[in-house]
Amino acid sequence: MFDQMWIVFQKEVLDNLRDRRALATTLLSTLMGPAIMLLLLMVIGRTVEQQIEKPLELPVVGAEYAPNLIQFLKQNNVEILPPPDDPEEQVRVGDFEVVLVISRNFGENLQSGIPATVQLIVDDSRQSSALDVKRAERLLQRYNDQIAALRLITRGVSPSILLPVLVETIDVATPQSQAAQLLGIMPYFIIFAVFLGGMQLAVDTTSGERERNSLEPLLINPVPRRDLVLGKLAATVLFTTVSLLGTLIAFALLFNLVPLEDFVGTRVSLGVAALVRIFFISLPMVGLASAIQIVFAAFSRNTKEAQAYLSFLPLIPALPGMFLAFVPVKPTLWMILIPTFGQQLLINQIMRAEPVLPLNVWASVLMTLLIAVLLTILAIRLYHREQILFGR
Amino acid sequence: MIQVFDLHKSFGKVRALKGVSFAAQNGLITGLLGPNGAGKTTSLRILYTVLRPDQGRALVDGFDATTQPLEVQKRIGVLPDASGLYSRLTARENIRYYGRLHGLHGEALERKIEQLIKLFDMQEFADRRTEGFSTGQRVKVAISRALVHDPPNVLLDEPTHGLDVMSTRAMRQVIRRMREEGKCVLFSSHIMQEVSALCDRIIVIARGEIVAEGTPDELRARTGHENLEDAFVEIIGSGEGLE
Repeated sequence: MFDQMWIVFQKEVLDNLRDRRALATTLLSTLMGPAIMLLLLMVIGRTVEQQIEKPLELPVVGAEYAPNLIQFLKQNNVEILPPPDDPEEQVRVGDFEVVLVISRNFGENLQSGIPATVQLIVDDSRQSSALDVKRAERLLQRYNDQIAALRLITRGVSPSILLPVLVETIDVATPQSQAAQLLGIMPYFIIFAVFLGGMQLAVDTTSGERERNSLEPLLINPVPRRDLVLGKLAATVLFTTVSLLGTLIAFALLFNLVPLEDFVGTRVSLGVAALVRIFFISLPMVGLASAIQIVFAAFSRNTKEAQAYLSFLPLIPALPGMFLAFVPVKPTLWMILIPTFGQQLLINQIMRAEPVLPLNVWASVLMTLLIAVLLTILAIRLYHREQILFGR
Repeated sequence: MIQVFDLHKSFGKVRALKGVSFAAQNGLITGLLGPNGAGKTTSLRILYTVLRPDQGRALVDGFDATTQPLEVQKRIGVLPDASGLYSRLTARENIRYYGRLHGLHGEALERKIEQLIKLFDMQEFADRRTEGFSTGQRVKVAISRALVHDPPNVLLDEPTHGLDVMSTRAMRQVIRRMREEGKCVLFSSHIMQEVSALCDRIIVIARGEIVAEGTPDELRARTGHENLEDAFVEIIGSGEGLE
């Protein structure tokens, strides 16, 4: 039985190695995840870095009324700009992120103990200005606290009387779990590679075969249909595995060679051992994805239809993954049992350097393999129907 | 040896075959003549195991095409109407794939392929990828891979469809050679010329039923027409769908 499956497998591999499109999809799906990840890390890293180190550019109206405040701001990395002509309009159109307006009687009020007013003109609807606004607010708050403390001291009162409750936040996130927040999208890229890596081959060897009229003569050969399906499935599994391996190696290179701490601040480390574990946890998904593709391609009318279905497929496992990125959940057994979702949870645990229960790994592996086997049996059934010649 | 008993087959509401029975003997060329849509391809597809009859049996060397498909497949070589090749494989690789699926390998297989390449005069393009081949070249590759395991029964669905004059002549020579080798050759056609020129026995099929069967002489005698083509037209009731 395995002789003929092997012959079909060899032919499909040779045939598709000569197919530029199949190779291009495999390569693209392999490198896309790591490439997008690198880009994301660089962009996030750069923006955070730039906005913090750059002096805050702050146009001030009425700077002459509060020389002390201006002095304080300058000492705290603020570049004071001359007042704009129409502060409100210019903030609205985005010429400035934030403008400070100091009222004429600022000094007078300050001296006589009346609250002295300053205004921050901001546009709350613009995301990009949030960081600048926050910085300005925080600086003004600090100036406020300083003056208040000085006033209390001159009156012989300890400033700590104004702090009945002191809130201290203790961040328990390890450097690994901080990085994992960024890496939370990685499991999804792995699934992406798994669901797209062998797609072109799966479609080409099944509905493509029918479209080119080579299916009918093939079926006349003395080969059990089971062996035909298994040979084609094995070829798909090979291409998909290569795609998965390529993605993991690219991620490994990304995390170990590229100096990511320069971009993100935290060290992103994902050792070879972790990647090997991720590989074996992902392997059952390769069988699952390949079997799904063979089944879809078997009853699609033509390759276009098959490709349309299959391109949407990787979006389905993406949904729980996206949810996961925002709401961290503690994995329970029933979640682990859901193919692709379970893998995402386990991969996340490995990346956070959390302990992974062997029971959960086995449950995920066996459940996914079981479904892959059932789908393979369904594919063989579909190939036994006479409609396989015509599609659907 | 091919035998077909009382085949019925429907596709939805269309009754493609309504009780078709015939036989094709070894060492003879048997022609299945009928207009387009008469049931020729459906009959052949049941014989070569890709369709199952609703009723009736199709036997090849005594094996049932429905219940023992692998035994039947080992004993037939088929040129289906639509015979696609693998465009990224060379002509030789296309033939080799089918040879291997039939259990041939190594030296014996390579020798057989070389023999077919010579027989069909394919030396020039044997090691080129089949993408861009002419119809004639394609048919040569397709028939070669169908014959690579030296089958005792050969089924050809419209074998000269789309061929130029030279290729048609070559095809006819091959068919005659197979008869000399004692094979059972069954081919379908809607071209009267071809059937008259080649066949030892003719089976005329129309609207899913066999309407006449016999040697060319018997068919002439039955209808009283000297000209075989006139005889066909009379048997079928019209010349529509024939050439």
